Amino acid sequence: MIGSGNRNRLPVEAGSRKELQNDQTWVSSGTEELRLRVQQRSLREQLERNHFLLQRLNAASARLIQSLDNGDVCEAIAEIIANLIGSEEVAIFDFSRAEHTFSLAWSWGVELSALEPFVAGAGMFGRAAHEGLSQFQERQPVGVLLPYEKNLTACITLKASREVVGVIAIFGLLPQKNGLEWVDYELLKFLETYAAVALQFQRLQGKQVAP
Amino acid sequence: MATKKILLVDDSCTARLVNRMIFSHKTNYVLVSAVDGKEAVDRAKEEKPDVILMDVIMPRMTGLEACRMLKQDKETHKIPVILLTTRGEEKYVQEGYASGCSDYLTKPVNDVELLDLLKAYLGE
Repeated sequence: MIGSGNRNRLPVEAGSRKELQNDQTWVSSGTEELRLRVQQRSLREQLERNHFLLQRLNAASARLIQSLDNGDVCEAIAEIIANLIGSEEVAIFDFSRAEHTFSLAWSWGVELSALEPFVAGAGMFGRAAHEGLSQFQERQPVGVLLPYEKNLTACITLKASREVVGVIAIFGLLPQKNGLEWVDYELLKFLETYAAVALQFQRLQGKQVAP
Repeated sequence: MATKKILLVDDSCTARLVNRMIFSHKTNYVLVSAVDGKEAVDRAKEEKPDVILMDVIMPRMTGLEACRMLKQDKETHKIPVILLTTRGEEKYVQEGYASGCSDYLTKPVNDVELLDLLKAYLGE
């Protein structure tokens, strides 16, 4: 019995070991396949994210170029912000370095016509002017916002020859928008450079047309 | 399977551009466009699209008015209309459905959400 048992058991054990090895090979190849798939998915997502951003940058860039011929650069900036970022409250301010003041140049969706030129203070406008960097409300220290900055989401610097010549002020976001996302920051970085160029182009064109 | 046709209606050039890019990259839908509600009604009759994607606030004729007209017309009343708008508040959504739209998406448009919704309407 023992002998036969052993004889009987041996093939079973050998079989079990083989099955176990097969299982382990299967498990390890399955795990490897899963790992590769996860890695592939992550790479695909990276490319998709980049493509998603490039599509929006491409649309924004095309719209800005179109605005040079139409003479509606401010409207184009607002349209880009409304459709791609999600705010319908936009204003463009000029900044005078000599007087250190901001004055309203254009606005859309926000009533600021009564706003007199104001001195760049310690708030978002002031920091944008002093530091030459765009300011975002969610990154501001608490308690330094001026009254008209309460609903300000972002203050995007517009520069000419590295000097701040104005800002794009983005006030309230659309109700369905919980905050700025990574793609919004990239679009705003694009506007920081190219909206300034387009506005400068329009101003030069205005000077040429004038007698 | 026949290629599906979408009528995209938006007065914003940026919106038309970005949607065109989304469709050209991920689908083989044929895209025709209009810049306001009035043109949308005419184009819908000419082109007989499978779905209409339409902005709400537009000059000449709003998306809501155009949607009502399309739903009253025998030639176009069966075409699903998806409204695309910046106004996501409940009262605007209700107003959208009251005009006869089939669905309502808020801007900025999410590619995945938009394409999934289109697939659902186009039976793909």
